[in-house]
Amino acid sequence: MSEAYDHGMARWGRADAGGLGREALAYADTLYNLARYLTRSPTDAEDLVQETYARALTSAHQYTPGTNLKAWLFRILRNTFLSQYRHERHNPTVGGLDTVAPTAQGVEPVQWLRGDLELDRLRKVVGEEIERALMTLSEEARTVILLDLEGLTEVEVALVVGCPIGTVKSRLSRARAALRALLKDYAR
Amino acid sequence: MTCEEARDRLLDAQRGRLAPETHAALQAHLQTCAACAHEAAAEALLSEALESRLPQHRAPVSLKRRLAAEWPGAPAATPGLWRRRARYLVPVAAAAAVLLIVGPLAYQRASERAATRMVAEAVNDHLRILSSQHPLDIESGGIHQVKPWFEGRLDFAPVVRFDGDQDFPLRGGAVGYYLDRKAAVFVFNRRLHTISLFVFRADGLPWPTRGLVRVGGGQAHVTTSRGFNSVLWRDGELGYALVSDVDPAELARLAERLAPKS
Repeated sequence: MSEAYDHGMARWGRADAGGLGREALAYADTLYNLARYLTRSPTDAEDLVQETYARALTSAHQYTPGTNLKAWLFRILRNTFLSQYRHERHNPTVGGLDTVAPTAQGVEPVQWLRGDLELDRLRKVVGEEIERALMTLSEEARTVILLDLEGLTEVEVALVVGCPIGTVKSRLSRARAALRALLKDYAR
Repeated sequence: MTCEEARDRLLDAQRGRLAPETHAALQAHLQTCAACAHEAAAEALLSEALESRLPQHRAPVSLKRRLAAEWPGAPAATPGLWRRRARYLVPVAAAAAVLLIVGPLAYQRASERAATRMVAEAVNDHLRILSSQHPLDIESGGIHQVKPWFEGRLDFAPVVRFDGDQDFPLRGGAVGYYLDRKAAVFVFNRRLHTISLFVFRADGLPWPTRGLVRVGGGQAHVTTSRGFNSVLWRDGELGYALVSDVDPAELARLAERLAPKS
């Protein structure tokens, strides 16, 4: 195995008698959940999580103790996904076009008149409909929604996806608007 | 505060990230602007739907075991395993030993929790039927009117083996929800008591596996919770939950008629 691996191994071992390793493994469910929504496949999700932990181990020396370990692992997972799986993914663009202005979806006065009909539908929408709508969104939109759901701040999401905070904010806003538009159609 | 400023701050407000004075200004705006108030409500409902209803996928135990074996610092892991696959046997044997000791206990508790959750949902759904002013989407003219009515309203065809009779007349049906999925609701009567039957896709639910009793040709979970009796069973790809405050023996009689025959 590489020097980086041994370095990482030594560091992880030194830091806290395995505490960091154990802490990292505590995020297996969270990472797997994101991997499932990114890859759309249980098998690919398992491979992606395993590869994520392997990469985290070899680059453990780059992790700064005291910073958000979960966000660091998410970043590795997403980068691994982009490098290994992206070419296989479907090609949706909903919510994924940064050229669309943030105000273009869901906020025009005419759409305000949707009124309680939309609220009623959001109250009744079931899990499988939300999942189906989420999977229709672009990878970028899905990622920001899921990272936000995991409780990451916009600063942390920006670190994970490698873009400015303002972009995260507008991307999240567009992704949620796209999701609402889809759920409006589904939940009939 | 303008509408645009208010919209920009809705999510931060939900997350509790606004300064008190900004939060107060936003609330003041929402009091006077119906459109932004609608947006705030829709955003809050979307968050609630994502947080409580979006399916969460848990990593398979086999994957966790592999990761634990390959990672330093995890229980039953040794660093050399990464390179020396032959030593997989050590943590696998350790995990097997642990499973033998604590497995049955954990399994029992998990099964009890699963049963509690399934029953609680069935009782809640039954209470919704009881409290609703218009619980039925279709009033019964018999099962042959009710069953076709569900066509196109569900992503499965509900199979009901009992058409209703003088003892248990079928009042009608409705589309409802059971946990994260749609359900066909059939409402029967027993004298003045209401009996709800929920039929839904059975896959992916934490079905109780202990304390089952024989009902018809299959096995069912029979229990009393919050004063309501319930019978839960699976029949192929479909799940059934029967709930009522009627006498347990009478509910069992109806369950016998609805359950698969031996």
